Amino acid sequence: MRCKQTGLIFFPAFDWAISPTHPEREERLLYTRDQIFEEGIIDLPQIAEFTPQLASIHDIARTHFCVPQVESQTTEAHLIAAGAAITLADQIVAGLIDNGFALVRPPGHHAMRVVHGNRGFCNINNEAVMVEYLRSRHGLKRVAIIDTDVHHGDGTQDIFWHDPDVLFISFHQDGRTLYPGTGFIYELGGPCAYARTINIPLPPGTTDDSLLYIVDNLILPVLEEFRPDFIVNSAGQDNHYTDPLGSMRITAQGYARLTEKLRPDLAVLEGGYAIETALPYVNMAIILALAGLDYSNVREPDFWPGRFKETSQRTEQLKRLVDGLLKHWKNRDTTLTGRGKTVNGYYEREKLIFYDTDYIEEHQTEKLRICSNCTGYLSIESEVSHGFGQAGKVLCLSVPFGACSKCRNEAADLYTGAKKSVVYNYIYLQDKSSDYLLGYDTKAGKEWRP
Amino acid sequence: MYIGVDVGGTYTDAVLLEKNQIKASAKAPSGKNLLSSILEAIDKVLQGVDPGRLKRIVFSTTMITNLIAERKYDPVALLLIPGPGLSYTYYQFNTFTRILTGTIDYRGRETVSLKEREVEAALDEIADQGFKKVCVIGKFSPRNTSHEKRLAMLVKEKYPDWEVELGHLAGGQLNFPRRVVTTYLTAATRESFHHFLNLVRQSLAERQITAEALILKADGGTLPMENSDKIPVETIFSGPAASTLGALALTSPGETAVIADIGGTTTDLALILNGQPLLSAKGARIEGQLTQVRTLAVKSVPIGGDSVLERMGNEIIIHGKRMGPAYCMGGPVPTPTDALRVLGLTTLGDQNRAAEAMAILGERNGSRVIAEKILNLVVDGISSQINKMFQEWELEPAYRVWEILQKRKVRPSTVVGVGGGANGLVDRIAEKLGCRSIIPPYAAVANAVGAAVAKTTLQLSLRADTERGSYLLQEEGFEGKIDSKQFNEKQALDILRERLIRMAARHGLDVKPEQLEVTHQEVFNMVRDWQTKGRLIDITVQTPRGITGRIEAGGQEG
Repeated sequence: MRCKQTGLIFFPAFDWAISPTHPEREERLLYTRDQIFEEGIIDLPQIAEFTPQLASIHDIARTHFCVPQVESQTTEAHLIAAGAAITLADQIVAGLIDNGFALVRPPGHHAMRVVHGNRGFCNINNEAVMVEYLRSRHGLKRVAIIDTDVHHGDGTQDIFWHDPDVLFISFHQDGRTLYPGTGFIYELGGPCAYARTINIPLPPGTTDDSLLYIVDNLILPVLEEFRPDFIVNSAGQDNHYTDPLGSMRITAQGYARLTEKLRPDLAVLEGGYAIETALPYVNMAIILALAGLDYSNVREPDFWPGRFKETSQRTEQLKRLVDGLLKHWKNRDTTLTGRGKTVNGYYEREKLIFYDTDYIEEHQTEKLRICSNCTGYLSIESEVSHGFGQAGKVLCLSVPFGACSKCRNEAADLYTGAKKSVVYNYIYLQDKSSDYLLGYDTKAGKEWRP
Repeated sequence: MYIGVDVGGTYTDAVLLEKNQIKASAKAPSGKNLLSSILEAIDKVLQGVDPGRLKRIVFSTTMITNLIAERKYDPVALLLIPGPGLSYTYYQFNTFTRILTGTIDYRGRETVSLKEREVEAALDEIADQGFKKVCVIGKFSPRNTSHEKRLAMLVKEKYPDWEVELGHLAGGQLNFPRRVVTTYLTAATRESFHHFLNLVRQSLAERQITAEALILKADGGTLPMENSDKIPVETIFSGPAASTLGALALTSPGETAVIADIGGTTTDLALILNGQPLLSAKGARIEGQLTQVRTLAVKSVPIGGDSVLERMGNEIIIHGKRMGPAYCMGGPVPTPTDALRVLGLTTLGDQNRAAEAMAILGERNGSRVIAEKILNLVVDGISSQINKMFQEWELEPAYRVWEILQKRKVRPSTVVGVGGGANGLVDRIAEKLGCRSIIPPYAAVANAVGAAVAKTTLQLSLRADTERGSYLLQEEGFEGKIDSKQFNEKQALDILRERLIRMAARHGLDVKPEQLEVTHQEVFNMVRDWQTKGRLIDITVQTPRGITGRIEAGGQEG
């Protein structure tokens, strides 16, 4: 008999929407609410319902560089969604609950380190904010994030790209066929974190069997070797066979088995826009699987066993994919090159980022100090153009957990030096090793501590 | 003139009110026979009063509570239509249960139809087992009543003498397992309750009492006796509701307060937020089973004036039980009341015996020191539970941004003490919480006062699905058509107001449309492919809650 419970925060944000007819609107979790309430599962002794705290501005700024400020990129709904993940994570780390599910809106996995606006329905990366909170407040060392949304979790990937202590694995529908158009097998992380990013692009039409093959043969063995202190599931539900945006063929039963195998400490809801035909059933199945309850009776009205069969051709294709990725994983400590170039001890790469919701184009130059004592600080020069003209440049300096004093000092000096610059509108220093955060408005000559 | 009667575990209290003044009050021991205790109390307060002057008489009774606790109810069989979802192995309803094919979804659409063959076979089995009462409960039946209604018809055709209880009428909220239990308990207790009410009515008639007779519900509302046998389980736990309303009637309006009913064995806590008793977010738990019965949010703390005190090492421990009256009143063991006596906070009992009680607890030369210590223990115990109650209320899940943002930092300004143990303790509890304290006059019969001033409250909920072109009135089980796609909240409200006023009139309640209160309102646009395809409208309206009036000073304490 298990004694600990599965914590649940259900925050459907019934009064928040991106716009009235947008997929990310008030109605999204309505039928999920109806289903969960009607089934009475919150009354079960295995389930404990919590109410979310709000994430603080500081919690957000520890993870993101919001331009110009956290307050301008977040609504209360964002703080509640990220706060929900934090609330449950606190409970789990304290050993008060066994695992948890933050069934919240708005979602977050497309939100990157620098935030100029909304991308892929996301402003704030709920999982990343929670993970950095856990590392900062509870000293957690190694975290794994498994992204099971149909879209590539490019925001989470961006945030942890250079971080060898955070394993990010995402399976998703092949980027050549779906937003955001990334997440290919060759995207494997920065020079100091090789293969701590693993992408598994899946062909449209992938079924439960193939998905579970990948879990059994790739994700679980990698997790086993990585030995994370905490496993997060970015639980998107748009791999469902009825999802209007994705083209996969995963069922509620498939999601339940996936959850059962992954055994995440905390699942956080991401996408999923088949609000009637998928969400009520998939959410229910995931809750039951997390709580170790029998989910065999959960099924969609139009589903029958054997409805989706995998072709042998696809099975072969996936086998090759898994084998190739496992090879990269095996060589993770001997491979030191990422895509990009290293000049004078600094690794540099250029990035173009498009904000689909807000129509912003961002150009980034990312520079990582290659350091033998720590994972190196990161400087990002970011320039955006909105449809209506240039909005200027910002400089973001991020010092990682466990940074050496040389990296910390160099980043701090850069920050101080840039304050006199006329090139940047805003300058940010984010020192995770000491949880010290600063922002500076060069035009107003004003500094603040988020 | 009003009479309020509260049947408690130890005493049955009655009060007679006239124009918000207490004219008489009485206590009678609650015996095995509830009816005779009730009548004894009524007879006492009615002494020398013409029964023709009585306008209403309200009962708060433990009848159903006892019936269920002692399992003295009729056998009931269950016919469930749960469809897919939670595994049936988690349904433990401890009675003969048959699961039938059929599915209604969250929108109220039938996705799998009933199999009538299967129904017949199940009915034969139920008949073989000798049941004459059947409950028919479907998942999502409040969204579409057709399966339950059809099944009821099939039962009636085959076994016209059986009683059939429908889930959507007994438990109209979303929660299938709770609906099953609520429907089951309703079916199980109806006949006995009906019988009891008949006896009460007869006895009133014998006394030429023609006043309107009502029953108090767990949520603090009342229902006329003729109607209340429809929903007997709603009368469960009306005791705490009675004391809460009583305290409300005995204090000034609009406050945020805690009501502490300090008895011999327990202290019952209830919250008043801005003058309204707080309802529990979920339904009542009856004998360990979760139901949809609405109750006031009441917490029972196992600390009272007669709680057993014991010394363990250097500590004093309060046990959650009573072994008799306080030591100073001839009881066997030291109690908090003895401590109060030593400190001069009560005049009950014998001073010397109280000091002796302190000595038993080990303090020979300074009985005041130990009495202080005991008092602190009791006060800490109760006030920490009060704080916890507010925290729990704050932590109740909320599903909207504004609810989460506004749900902070509400703390009481007043502690109202009622019940026998209130004197001496309430001041200290209030001090601890930074509140002022009130012990209203007549605190000892607050329960009966609460029953007397309780108001009839009725509510009606409408759910419309404009895409499906229909609406449902939950409490009436009535389904209506929507002709226009333009159907909106205003039209929904108009329907609700009109039907609720008619419903109120049937209950002898004169309510104006502007007095009706909207307690729940939820409107969602259904958007499919970027187009608005319809609207989901959920609205609940209620006749005013609360009390008929506040008690003015005057009269006599009985």
